[in-house]
Parts: sequence; C-alpha cells; structure tokens
Amino acid sequence: MTLPVFAIVGHPNKGKSSIVSTLSQDESVAISPVPGTTVENRVYPMAVDGEILYELIDTPGFQRARAALEWMRSQTGSAVERADTVHRFVDEHQDDPRFTAECNLLSPILEGAGILYVVDGSRSFGEDYEAEMEILRWTGQPSLALINMIGDSDHSEEWQKALGQYFRIVRVFDAMTADFDRRVQLLLAFGEIREEWRGTLENAVRILREEQTRRRTLAARVIAEMLAHMITHLRRRRLAEDEVMDEARDVLLQAYKQNLAAMEQRCRDEVEQLYNHRDLERHEPLVQLLDDDLFSRQTWLLFGLTRQQLIATGALGGAAAGGVIDLAVHGTSLLLGSGLGAVAGGVSAWLTSDRIANIKVLGHSLGGKEISIGPMRNINFPYVVLGRALLHQRMIEERTHAYRGPLDLTFHPEQLQMADAATRRQFEKLFSRLRKQETLRTDLVASLASLIENRISVGSAGLEH
Amino acid sequence: MQSPHINQQNSGYNEKMTHASLLGDLIELDEVLDADLAIDLEARKQRDRDIGRKLHRNRSKPASQIRAWLREIGPAAARNNGLRATRLYHALCLALVITGLLTGWGLASAVLFYDGNQPINVVNAVGILVLPQILLLLVWLVAALPIRLPLFSGIGATLGFLNPGRLAGQLAGLFSEKENRGLAILWDPDNIASLAPAARWLFSFWSQLFAFSFNIGALAAAIFLVSFSDLAFVWSTTLAISNETFHQLLTILSTPWSAFFPDAVPGSELVANSRYYRLDEGTLAGTAATSPQLAIELGQWWPFLIAAITCYGLLPRLLTLWISWYRFRHHLRKALCNLPGAPELLARMNSPLVSTLAVQPEETREIAASSAVAKPDATRHAIRCPVIDWSGACGRTDEITVQLGTMGIEVLEFLRAGGRQTTEQDQELATSLCRHKPEGVGILVKAWEPPLMDFLDFVRGIRRQCGQKKPFIVLLWGGQDGVTAADRETWQLTLAQLGDPNLHVEGIGQA
Repeated sequence: MTLPVFAIVGHPNKGKSSIVSTLSQDESVAISPVPGTTVENRVYPMAVDGEILYELIDTPGFQRARAALEWMRSQTGSAVERADTVHRFVDEHQDDPRFTAECNLLSPILEGAGILYVVDGSRSFGEDYEAEMEILRWTGQPSLALINMIGDSDHSEEWQKALGQYFRIVRVFDAMTADFDRRVQLLLAFGEIREEWRGTLENAVRILREEQTRRRTLAARVIAEMLAHMITHLRRRRLAEDEVMDEARDVLLQAYKQNLAAMEQRCRDEVEQLYNHRDLERHEPLVQLLDDDLFSRQTWLLFGLTRQQLIATGALGGAAAGGVIDLAVHGTSLLLGSGLGAVAGGVSAWLTSDRIANIKVLGHSLGGKEISIGPMRNINFPYVVLGRALLHQRMIEERTHAYRGPLDLTFHPEQLQMADAATRRQFEKLFSRLRKQETLRTDLVASLASLIENRISVGSAGLEH
Repeated sequence: MQSPHINQQNSGYNEKMTHASLLGDLIELDEVLDADLAIDLEARKQRDRDIGRKLHRNRSKPASQIRAWLREIGPAAARNNGLRATRLYHALCLALVITGLLTGWGLASAVLFYDGNQPINVVNAVGILVLPQILLLLVWLVAALPIRLPLFSGIGATLGFLNPGRLAGQLAGLFSEKENRGLAILWDPDNIASLAPAARWLFSFWSQLFAFSFNIGALAAAIFLVSFSDLAFVWSTTLAISNETFHQLLTILSTPWSAFFPDAVPGSELVANSRYYRLDEGTLAGTAATSPQLAIELGQWWPFLIAAITCYGLLPRLLTLWISWYRFRHHLRKALCNLPGAPELLARMNSPLVSTLAVQPEETREIAASSAVAKPDATRHAIRCPVIDWSGACGRTDEITVQLGTMGIEVLEFLRAGGRQTTEQDQELATSLCRHKPEGVGILVKAWEPPLMDFLDFVRGIRRQCGQKKPFIVLLWGGQDGVTAADRETWQLTLAQLGDPNLHVEGIGQA
C-alpha cells in the first residue's frame, strides 16, 4: 500500500498554507497576503513514533498556468497522452525559472500524491482558474476540492458548480475557525479520494483523537498544579532590625501578587505548548486581589519556633534535666529539680532568645522578626482562577494554527461562574483542604486534575458565557 | 533554546531504591524539571519518548522510570544538590541517633542510680522508662491514622513543635540556600500539595529514630549498670496494693515475653520479698536485710526491667521506625510521580510521540515593504486611453466607464486579455494596441486576486511594445466589497518587482 500523500495546490493566496497550518497544527507555516510567499514545497508528515502515516505537502501557487497548459496542449494529441505530457512538461521545464512554481507543485502529484485543490469561497469564480484546474485534471491523480471561506461573502454555490466539473469531491472548510472535529472530518474525507488510503487515515484520526484526550488530561493536570500552588502559596520574609513593618509588608504583598501572576502565566504557556501554540500574544487582565483576601502575619521566630514555643521548649527541657536530678535523689528533692529546671529553662529561653536570634551561622540569622503573606483566604479566588484557566484552555484548543491574531482573554467575572452546584461542591471540598493546608494526600492534585478534566470534556456546559 | 542532551554514560548513580537515594532523586528531580521548562516542548517530547522507549520495561513502575530518566538526563549540578541533601539528611539522622542514645543512657542511669543506700524502686523505673513510652506510642498511633480526628489534630498542631523530627527539619531548613532549597523543599508551603505526606513521614521517621535510639541508650545503660555494679531493686508504693495484686499486674505486664523468657517474669516470692517500706532506714517485708540470699534475690528484677524496656520501648519503636521508614519511602516514590511536571514527563515517556509538524524550516520569499510602488496615487489623471479587462475582471463596463470618468480617465475602448485568452492573443493585443500610440493604458484587474507572474509577463510585454514613457494604470476593481487596503498593498508590493516608474495602481470603489 502506498503512503497517503496530499499535495495542497491552487491559486496563490487562497489559503493553502492556512489549511496546511490548521491540519498540521504548525504555526511556523508562513501565511502572507503577498503572492508567492511559498516558493518551495514543504512536507508536513504525521508521524507516530517516527512512523509516517500520511504527508501533507504545501506547494507554491500556480503562476503561469495558461502558458503551461498551452505548452501541454501543443504537445499532446489525445486524452490518453495527457498524464505523460504533464510528466514531460515537468521534466523539460525543471530548470526553467518561468515554470518553477508549476514544476514544484506538479512534481509530488506526478509521484502519486492526491490533489487537494484550494479556492476561496468568499470570492466569485473566475475564468483564470480554468487553466490550472485543467492541468490538474490532466495529471489523472485522485483529487478533492476544498472551498476555503476566507472572507464574509459566500460564493460557495457558484464554486461548487465550477469545481464539480473537475473534481469528484468538493468540501467547504474554514481553515481559520475549524474545530478539532471538523479537522478530523476533513482528514477522513481525504480517505475518500483513494480507497486504499482510507484505513490509514482512519487510524491517523484515531491517534489524533487519543492525542487530543491526552492533551486535555495534561492541560487539566497543569491547571490543577497551578491552582494548588496558588491556593497554598505563602511568602515569608525575615525583617532587618531597622526595617519598617508596613513598608516591608507592602513589598512582600507586591511580590506575592507577582508570584501569583507568574504562576498563571506559566500555566498559560504550558497549556499553549501542549497544543503546539508558541509565542502567542495574549491580552489578559491580571487577576484582581484585595489585600483583605490574604492572610498576613508578623511573627518572631528562632529555629523556626515562635517565642511562646521556644519558652515552652526551654521550660520542658529544663524540667526534664531537673527531673533527672529529682530521680537521682529518689524524689527527696520534692520535684524541686523539675520545677527549678522548668523555670530556669523558660526564663533563659525568654532572656536569651533575642541575642541568639541575632547570631549568624554560615551567613544566616538564627531567628528574628518575620512577616508572611498568604495563603489566600478568599473562597471565590480558586473559582475565578479556574474559570480563567478553563476558558483559556478551551480557546487554545479551538484556536487553529492558521489564525495569527492575538488571543483575547478579556472577560467579565460573571462569565466564569460555575452554574452546576454539584460540581462546585466537589471543587469546594478539594479547595477547602488545600486552603486549610493540613497534612494532605498526594492524590489531591490528581483528584483536582480529574475534576478539571471532566470540566474540559463537558466544555461550555458548566460555564456561563 | 537549549538543546536536549541524553547522557549515555552510566553516571554511577545510586540505583538502589533506598529512601535516602529516593530523597536525593526527589530533590534532583525538582531542580531538573524546573530547568527543563526552558527546553522547547517538541525537543522534550522527542527526548523523553526516546528514553521512555528504552525504559519500556519500567512502564508499570513510574517511580523507577522517573529515576532511570534522571540517570539519563540529570545534570551533574542537580545530582550534587541531591547528594548534598542526602548527606544533610544522614547528618541529621546521626545527630538524632546520638542525642537519643545520650538521653536514653542519661535517663536510665538516673533511674537506675544505686549507691548502696537506697535500693532502686521498680515502680519508679517502670513508671519512667516504660509507661510514658506506651502512652507516647498511643499518641503516635493516633497521629499515624489516615483519618484526622479534630481533637488530636488540634493537639498535634499545638504540640507539634516538640517533635524532635520536626525540630530537625526546621534546623535543616534554616541553613538551606534560597537557590538550592535541598531538603527544605519537602516542607516548603509551595509544595504542600505534592510533598506534605512525604514531609510528615520524614518527621515521623526522625522522631521514631530518636525514640529508638533513646531505648537503645536506656537498655545499654541498664545492661551496663547490671553488669558492672551491684544493683538492688525493691518495689514500693504508698497505694494500698497487696503483693498479690502487684504480682498480677506484673504478670500481665510480662505476658508478651513470659512464654519464651520466663526468668524475666517476677515470681510471687520475689514480689513479696522485695516490698520496701520507708520506715526508719527502710525495711523489707521479707527476711532480714543482711541475708546474702536476699541480696542476690533483690538483684533478680533486672531481667524484668530489661524485658519491659525491650518489649514496650525498643520493639514498638522499632516497629514504628520501620512503619515510618516504609511510609516515608512510599510517599517519596509517590512524590517522585506527583511533583509538578512529573505526570507530564511520564506521559511524554509512555505515550506515542505524535508529530504533525514540518520537518524542515520553511523557505519564503520576502518582499521588502520599501520596494512597494511608492508614488502617491494620482486621484485625477485627465487621460484618454483604452482599458484592458484582465481575466474578465468586470462584466459591467458601463459602470466602470462612469467610475473611471470621475477619476479623469476617459475610456476609449475595452479590450480583453488573460483568462481564457491565450498568451499569443495577449501578445497580438499588445502589438495592435501600441501601434495606435495611446496616451496611456488602463488595465482592469480583480483586486482580490493576487497579481501572478502571468500578469507581470503581460505588463512587461506591453511596456516593451508601447515604450517606457507611457503611463500604465492598473485599476483595481473591488467588486461589491470594494478595494481593501490589504489588496492594494498586495498589488503595490508585487508590481514593484517590475521597477516601472510609470506604473500606477488605482482602486475603483475603495472600501
């Protein structure tokens, strides 16, 4: 069985590269309004662990179709010779700079590639297309015509009539807005042009669907990790002796908010990478946080213990040491050892704690004043973050690689509310555990990821838009 | 973009699944996964799938697979950090062992202190060396329960700072560098969701290590004192407990070892003979204190005491130490697979690598914007010329004539070229047109169709025949939608390739 290969051909600027970009999920495809941007054939194989299932070939557009057809007509007598004539045309004009585009685009077709002829359905049919369609018909290769809807007007009916005379199968496809299902439907349609390719393409579609599911799972995991991280995030800072508390707190608060923003941005980047979108320009407002949403504390610490804990530890230590003396004298001391030990331990811990705190070992102070910000206590915060992340994921999943505009993630908070109370309860259970920061189970993030994956699968059902 | 690199050499890395090596791996993995984000995802996919296929046999053991991946990919710096953290961990373990041994030895020495005057009270010894251990063990059991009991979790949170394991952790965190957090990643609040259980069991392991060492110290001290001094044990209590009751209590306490260590079960006679009353200088309930036989008998309590410490102190602590070690190891393995980025890594290793991207970079032809037809459009031409309809640009010549009239272009006639005409017919048209020496030539084109080489050939041909001076006006017809700025730019950029100074581009019915 031959490898399914499809040459995407047509007039320049009719969206060949956009279709290739969308189907191959490759945003490196140059898409330009200037004709002739694509000068060489470029191959986009679909490979699974290195094994190629099919290939798409983006080709330059026809430039001198009339002249090429005239040459072919001058060289052939009957319909039987037409395919050979096209072969001969390519052989004889391989080095002719006038026909570089024609030779490049015809070469893979003559080697057995199926033809995917692309036209713009938003513009009317013109007689200048007839020469190139005729040449393609002469090749005798299986073919399919794609009406790409670039603009708002619809001339697809007119095109269907014209294309129907040259191509057995005609499909309408919008490379800019086609969602995943439409893309795989188109791939399956490619299988219709040659029976022997159908099985391979069905297999390819199955693998693409699995890959899509995998991407959703991983996106859900990335979002869950971000959420867990953001909910539990805590920032601490040791205060210098002469540092003003309020100023230090403001600086720390600013840093805290920046950290949260960075976590969100990192999540966005990772989700985009999962879907092969890189360097996307995003327009997204930062998540709004009020200072009251955050726990803020000032503590004095030594060896990680608060002053009270330190005094208690000192007292207990002293009591234990004194207790040994009590035991040694068989209790005749009437627990005086323990009592005095506890008092001595507690008092010395209290008196010396400041001095010990200022001692530096290996450049680190042993203790001192510390301020901490976080974790987040606003119960709506995780839902806002989750809503934003889900919306971003969906927009990325639906975004075609042909579309090069910025990603606009500006939305109103009410758009992100979760309508389904049962799901909200499930989420709340997990968020609550994260907020409390009690000893956690390792599968908490996995549970959260699983819930998020369900939300992704459900799609827009749970989000009010 | 960094290029991925697969370390083919055996790094000499510790392949054993000990908890210390797991801990080192966890710290290394945290660092490597963080740094890995700088590598392009496609490159990571390829690299990890290659490694995943090599490690196919480990697929059902994700922790092993991740560790093997680390061995392949882990840079030396990260490995050093892992090893450094492991060393710190071992140092803290050693410190806890030494502290435990000394504390145990010290306490047992105090409890078993005997200077020949006051015999050692067995009730004291059991009360200090055995009973608190049983109580603390119960507390540990409650803490180790998977279900959090509100009361106990409250107590745990209040008194948690007294846990020697937690204190050791705080000491370790105090000296960790910011860039290389080492062991401190385990209790970093940012990692609480993935590493809190491992940290919890590490603290438990450390505290049980301390307790186990304490019991070893206590036992060692007891055996030392029994061996190298002559101890005299008695039992004494103010409570109204009869010899029989006390004997029954001791028998119950001795049940665990009574079957295979009967000598360590105090007999009723020993209990009766060694009861001590603090009267005058102290008197024994049995025969005269000076009897050598009795002196020997009073020393017979030691097997019971050793067995009690072993059974209620050492062995349970050995068990809790093992449980803590096992759970810590278990959670370390889980943490290896749950660390942020690790599930993604496993997916990359174990899922087929699906690629739809182009293999080669694209070669494109760029036309510089500065090379566009730069002259400002003449809004009024005042010219009489024939207009060539290229490829049937517009069927409604009347409408076009009117529109061109408003632009100062008087149409002499409409001619046809391109489209269904042959190139030969185009040439003939050009020859015949130029023979009449028109003032200029208008060429009507569809604005939305890009200018092809075919069109450029035609313009070149007609220019050759009509001369360089004649103004040529390319008239962009935009149809219902009008001529967009993008269409105009496309035409200007493409026609600029001709380098024709007398070539103008005009739009009809601008959008």
